[in-house]
Amino acid sequence: MDVIPTEIRDRIKYEARVAGLGQGTAVSIEAVERRRLQIWVLGGVLVVALSIAFGISSLSGGREGSRWLQPGVLQVALIALALGFCVYAIEKEVHLHRLSRLIVDERVLNSALSKSLQQHSALMAAGRALNSVLDLDEVLDVILASALDMLRASAGSVMLLEGDDALRAVAVRGGETPRNARVMMGESIAGKVARAREPIILNDQMDDERLPGRDKRSGAPGSAMCIPLQHRGHLLGVLNVSAPRARAFDEYDMQLLSLFAEPVAAAIAKAGLYEAERAHVSKLLEAGRQTSQFVASVSHELRTPITSIRGAIAASRVTTEYQQRAELLDVMERQALRLAHMVEEMLTAAKLERNDSMPLLRRVDLAVLIRMSALDSQVAGRPVELAVPEHCEVRADPESLRRIIGNLVENAHKYGAVPVRIVIDQDAGKTVLSVIDSGPGVPPAEREKIFDRFYRSDTNGEKPGVGLGLPIVRGLAEACGGSVWVEDAPGGGAAFRVSLRTRAVDEQEVASVS
Amino acid sequence: MSAKPKVLIVDDEPDVLLTLRVILEASGFDPALAADGETALRRIDAEHPDLVLLDIMMPVLDGWFVLAELAGRAKKPKVIVCSAKSGDADKARARDLGADAYVVKPWDPTALMQTIRDVLAAKNATGTVENIRV
Repeated sequence: MDVIPTEIRDRIKYEARVAGLGQGTAVSIEAVERRRLQIWVLGGVLVVALSIAFGISSLSGGREGSRWLQPGVLQVALIALALGFCVYAIEKEVHLHRLSRLIVDERVLNSALSKSLQQHSALMAAGRALNSVLDLDEVLDVILASALDMLRASAGSVMLLEGDDALRAVAVRGGETPRNARVMMGESIAGKVARAREPIILNDQMDDERLPGRDKRSGAPGSAMCIPLQHRGHLLGVLNVSAPRARAFDEYDMQLLSLFAEPVAAAIAKAGLYEAERAHVSKLLEAGRQTSQFVASVSHELRTPITSIRGAIAASRVTTEYQQRAELLDVMERQALRLAHMVEEMLTAAKLERNDSMPLLRRVDLAVLIRMSALDSQVAGRPVELAVPEHCEVRADPESLRRIIGNLVENAHKYGAVPVRIVIDQDAGKTVLSVIDSGPGVPPAEREKIFDRFYRSDTNGEKPGVGLGLPIVRGLAEACGGSVWVEDAPGGGAAFRVSLRTRAVDEQEVASVS
Repeated sequence: MSAKPKVLIVDDEPDVLLTLRVILEASGFDPALAADGETALRRIDAEHPDLVLLDIMMPVLDGWFVLAELAGRAKKPKVIVCSAKSGDADKARARDLGADAYVVKPWDPTALMQTIRDVLAAKNATGTVENIRV
């Protein structure tokens, strides 16, 4: 490919023509040397010829003949001829000299342009590869593959900023750096480059101060480069490449890596945005799915009490028995309360979500409250066994605690199995209320999800409920300054545990404040 | 033989059992009750009801199990599924398992009684396809 500017080409053509290089001759240093040799040979022949002529004219001096062959005239003519040739030779030499320099310039320029072309070609290929992927892992893979290919390197890694003070190796090819290796800012080469935001080349002749102990490492590369990856002024991480001892990186390689770092940083930033957008869309889809599930659950849950109420009204119209009518009125009341409870649960969940009303915390005897709740559960057909002390004071809102216990017992009967036990464990400054069932337990993968609003572990909808019971428990427990979690019970089953603040802790807090 | 058609009500909601029992009695049927699938199958074997009003979501054995169990029998009662599940897939599944009708909760008592009469009056051999109401 012709990459030399026309101006140089034209000047070379002109100088070649003036220097007497033939039209068909390829202009090169060798051709220039040949032309120079021709002139010198011609000069030599001329000198010999002139010397002979000069000698002949001297020997024939004084003899009769043409006046043109008189010694004085002939010698002047020979000297004039010699001078003319010298002028010719000098002029050609000047042009040949210029031509030589132009040819060298052309070669240098050609070489530089070729290198630049290779750079751009490699960068464009890498850019195309980077643009073809959006997933961060794929982007990192393309970055490393392109960098290693462009620089003929044997190993490399991309380390991304983790927090404000560390780098994590998120992609690794070859070399000794393990994936997920963590480097603190300012430490090691990558950490120093990240902090200084200046690229670095390390060759065999590195100084120990910059990389102490590196020479002693087995398999240390012959040459390495580390460059910061920055996008719009923000540091994203660093790109490391290393080569075996036979290859030493130079400034040209660093320039190429620097040019490459810009699209790399942009691609990483773009992939990061893509990841964030994907997570956002996923979150929206999940929210949509949860809302649909919630609507389905609520409409399903509403159907049962409405069925009973409509049935009871219809039945009370056709029955004449007083006792039966009384029972049917009870049905209507019960089911109306059930509907009211469901509405109350939804309002509580919404209120906890908004976090707009904090319950008033006061001293509560948890043991007494549990015994009262157990009686309520017994009446509702959900028996519980108790292992609680006579008294146990905690700091909480009694209504919240009552609902926490009620929801956990209901949950244990719905998803676990009898016997269901309520246990209190007291530790220094901490009281843990546990509701333990004898069911299959909660799989580890679901132990956090079940506290999400509208989440139903029973995806077939076989169990009644709208997925608000446990989120309400968590919301109320946290509003009381406590926490809730689920784990495997020692003898099998699920143990829902609620940690509550005790009176002793409050008194310590008061003492420390005062 | 009693002149009143025997109807087995299968539902885990006591209030639904109670109200349906009163309505069916007043409508001229002889109601019997079961709160889960296991009890339902036992009472079907023992009492041979003419029709079963079957809920789907129940403890112990659910309505799908009862339907599948009845599907394999040569002599079986008519079945009307009464469920809060309103999806087309559930209705198709009930039809495939041989249910004679599918009524979604909350049902209209008058319409439910009419459906019961229609299903009981159906004279065709299987009494399935034409009488499915959804």
